[in-house]
Amino acid sequence: MTPFELAEPKSLREALTLLNTDDPSVRAFGGCTALMLMMKTGVFQPTCLVSLRGVEPQHAEIQSDGGSLRIGALATLTAIGGSAMVRKAAPVITQAMQTLSNVRVRNVATLGGHLAHGDPHMDLPPVMIALDAELTAVSVHGERKLAVADLFTGYYETALAKNELISEVRIPSQAGRRSAYIKFTTRTADDWPALGVAVSFAIDGKVIQDARVVVSAATEKAVRLRDAEVALNGATVSDALLARAGEAAAAEADVVGDARGSAAYKREMLRVYAARAVKQALAA
Amino acid sequence: MATTLGKTNSGAAFGRSIPRVEAQAKVTGKAEYVHNLRLPGMLYGKVHRSTVAHGRIRGIDVSAAKVLPGVYAVYTAADIIKLIPEPYYGPAFHDQPILAVDKVHHVGEPVALVLAADPHVAEAAAQLIDVDYEELPAVFDEVEAMTSKAIVHEVLKPAGTFPDLKHLKGKRDTNIALDFHLRRGDAQKAFAEADHVFEHTFRTQQVLHVPLEPFVTVADPTPNQLVIHTASQSPSFVRIEIARLLGWAENKVRVKVPYLGGGFGAKLYIKTEALTAAAALLAGRPVKISLTMEEQFYQITKHAATLRIKSGVSKDGKVTARECEVWWNGGAYADIGPRVTQKSGFTAPGPYDIDHVSIDSYALYTNLPAAGALRGFGIPQLVWAYESHTDMIAKALKMDPLAIRRKNILREGRPQATGTLMRDAGIEKVLERLAERMDWEKSFDRGSGTLRRGRGIAIGFKASISPTTSVAIVNVSADGSCMVYCSTVDMGQGSDTAMAQFAAEALGIPVESVTVVHPDTDVTPYDMATLGSRSTYHMGHAVKLAAEDARDKLMQLAKDVGLSAETTPIPDIFRKKYGMQAGNIVGVGSYIPTYTSPDAHGQTDNATPFWMIGATGAEVEVDTETGEFKITRLVNLVDVGRPVNPAIVETQISGATMMQLGFTLFERMDFDAGQCTNASLADYKIPGIRDVPLVMENEAVDMVQQSGPFGAKGVGESGTFGVSPAIASAIDDAVGVRLTSLPLTAEAVYRGLRAQAGKPLDE
Repeated sequence: MTPFELAEPKSLREALTLLNTDDPSVRAFGGCTALMLMMKTGVFQPTCLVSLRGVEPQHAEIQSDGGSLRIGALATLTAIGGSAMVRKAAPVITQAMQTLSNVRVRNVATLGGHLAHGDPHMDLPPVMIALDAELTAVSVHGERKLAVADLFTGYYETALAKNELISEVRIPSQAGRRSAYIKFTTRTADDWPALGVAVSFAIDGKVIQDARVVVSAATEKAVRLRDAEVALNGATVSDALLARAGEAAAAEADVVGDARGSAAYKREMLRVYAARAVKQALAA
Repeated sequence: MATTLGKTNSGAAFGRSIPRVEAQAKVTGKAEYVHNLRLPGMLYGKVHRSTVAHGRIRGIDVSAAKVLPGVYAVYTAADIIKLIPEPYYGPAFHDQPILAVDKVHHVGEPVALVLAADPHVAEAAAQLIDVDYEELPAVFDEVEAMTSKAIVHEVLKPAGTFPDLKHLKGKRDTNIALDFHLRRGDAQKAFAEADHVFEHTFRTQQVLHVPLEPFVTVADPTPNQLVIHTASQSPSFVRIEIARLLGWAENKVRVKVPYLGGGFGAKLYIKTEALTAAAALLAGRPVKISLTMEEQFYQITKHAATLRIKSGVSKDGKVTARECEVWWNGGAYADIGPRVTQKSGFTAPGPYDIDHVSIDSYALYTNLPAAGALRGFGIPQLVWAYESHTDMIAKALKMDPLAIRRKNILREGRPQATGTLMRDAGIEKVLERLAERMDWEKSFDRGSGTLRRGRGIAIGFKASISPTTSVAIVNVSADGSCMVYCSTVDMGQGSDTAMAQFAAEALGIPVESVTVVHPDTDVTPYDMATLGSRSTYHMGHAVKLAAEDARDKLMQLAKDVGLSAETTPIPDIFRKKYGMQAGNIVGVGSYIPTYTSPDAHGQTDNATPFWMIGATGAEVEVDTETGEFKITRLVNLVDVGRPVNPAIVETQISGATMMQLGFTLFERMDFDAGQCTNASLADYKIPGIRDVPLVMENEAVDMVQQSGPFGAKGVGESGTFGVSPAIASAIDDAVGVRLTSLPLTAEAVYRGLRAQAGKPLDE
């Protein structure tokens, strides 16, 4: 790593002012767990890093409003994983946190950074998309709302402007819905996933409605699989249905191979795990 | 109450689970490491590394680096040669340049060094160095290296340092650093007469040690001496090799080693020491070079290997002949690879009683990062091959894996492949105890549906390195407390505790009154190195001899002043002699075992001072829809003679097993044109706590090494031997998929299942 300037603003407004530049070597960080890896390999050489760790503490708050959740972007993954409000409103998040990286990373990594990094191997993007979460993006020019499903535009690419930060994520009430997330790793337990599958749907008796099926890690960005959702919507739960949904997911996803597995293998695993995720959600 | 000399060899200190002497200092962050050392005026060195696998250096432009504010100096080989005209080092060959001379041999080879008071400035400057290469054809595969036109080193220059490697000869235009051949009986004739002949080829991948403390050295050019503080497993070798490079007397170089944050064979011989020493002498200032975790991937690794095994077998499963050909991928420098090739060649046919044996083992140069010693010294690769081969034969003959092993096992008193008779080798005992703990002869739940269960066993053995020397000093102070001076490095294996136990047991004093002085070549005497599970046996002997010498002298001192050492507290003996609390008793011990070099056919009556034996039993559960498998039970059995410290022995077994489990399941250095593409812990995954098998049992069988100090022998590597083949066999037992390449991935199992079903998966 080479030397750089470290700015430690005391307010979000101040941070946004520092980030209001076209210089790509100026970047914000929450826990710096992901940026640090890029800096160590020389992929990213900052001139200035803007630490968000000193801004107003309300940006790290977790609040429950009826059935919905509001999570400040600076909430650490440990705080989210240990939150009783989160467990009550969206237990799938609590469960995903058990196998998300390791405790050292979770203790400092923040929700905002986790999403804004645009890395397809992160665990929460597919979960947040499945839960239909919405985020607030802020800049010196104001704020806007964006579905998490619309955040990811490509491999490490997001819809955020250079001068924008995520300030908050809102998860709507999940009443009447079931959800699950499966992280499939092919190396160590704490490795990034070779494949992530998140599902969420409403259930009426044995009939599935309003399904969301999201794939990550095996694809270049976290993305909903509409054909699998169509297969599920309005259908009665059966082993044959799960198999059909798995087939649809595998046929639809644009799977890429890497050191964790070939594209052909990951596609087969998507077929298996999409079905298993639905099954797991039904059992939840 | 002051200590009185108690009984020697009473079992008061030896064989007990004494808590580790360094445990509290380590967990409270107070233990001393080279990484924490800062000296006044110290400069930090950062290395500029080769970006090509094989190339001639046309020119090195350091001008931009030199003018960066804060840069103290930039050195290339041209500067090193002014100080050291022949700047090559290595334990087997003098093939490794301090900085690349004229050509580079692998991606990551040090080409230039920047010094600055600020390590970040040094790093930034190192990136500004521009090297112009003329790329040369490169060779990466060990089998291709046998006949490749690409030659890594034009001339081979044997070092001639160690007695067991003296036969190495200089050769031109070959990538074969060493070839070892063993012939016993007539394998070809036996194959012709055998009922069955089986032949299989196995592969292992290149991996690395990953000590959590990366390589680090501080060199301090004081007026009278060059003082080197280094995280090394071999301080005596560092002193001798640095003195040789500089043309100095040994006593002008002082090497000090505090605790190590892991070694595993990586920190042997010369690693960062020569470059740091040269830079400090050129700069006239203390210099520290501490590699990053990422740089470790270019320093030293474990051999990838291709292993071909052929066996002649009778109808009833008796192996009559075995032929092994092994190609070791040594990377760009020989390091200690030739010894890996030779020593592992001794036992390549496995712990079986086979009359006709033929072994050819080759150490090869390639354009990859160098490979050296790593916990097991080639044995885990061999056991992987010969135990997989054993089970493949058993399956073909419809024999039980335990039955085929019982039929062929190498029994006490029988000659092994080198002709050396087996002595104090608990091979049969370890196998039988493993079978018992695995309930092998009882029925086994094989699972159902998409979850299928299977089990496997594997056993391996290893010869110790020989002949090697250890020297120790035991110093009894006038108050009866005692210090042990030895150059064994405590790198986490608990040697300080063990050496204190040896001294206390031999002297007959409480272990609490013994401290162990850390290696400092001005203070602690010679030791070959802390490697190959040799310290318990060799240094254990030296410390025991030194303690016995001290005890004899103390008895004599008591007698001289008219006292009985058995009944008089030690301080009173000194006081009677010197009139006050004064004086010392110094005992010295030196140990070297006997050894006979193998003849041209690899035959010797004395291949090793002791044998190490390790076996593993694995139970797995395979998900047939995904190829994923869970290790539901792992049982590890070893013969360590009498355990010095049962608690530490158990952690040595479990630690070795977990390390080998990483090499079995996940770890693999990936390369693209010689460039390691996963050189970081983010991409090269080592096992964590959640990767530990659901049930893991470790046991040292009841054995005594008659020639060992108090019956003990080494333990550090034995837990690695059986892990890989036991798991592969368990997978085969569960679903009928036999993997012959490491690591054993879920994808490989899945592809095997698909092929079995006649629906192979596309690449």
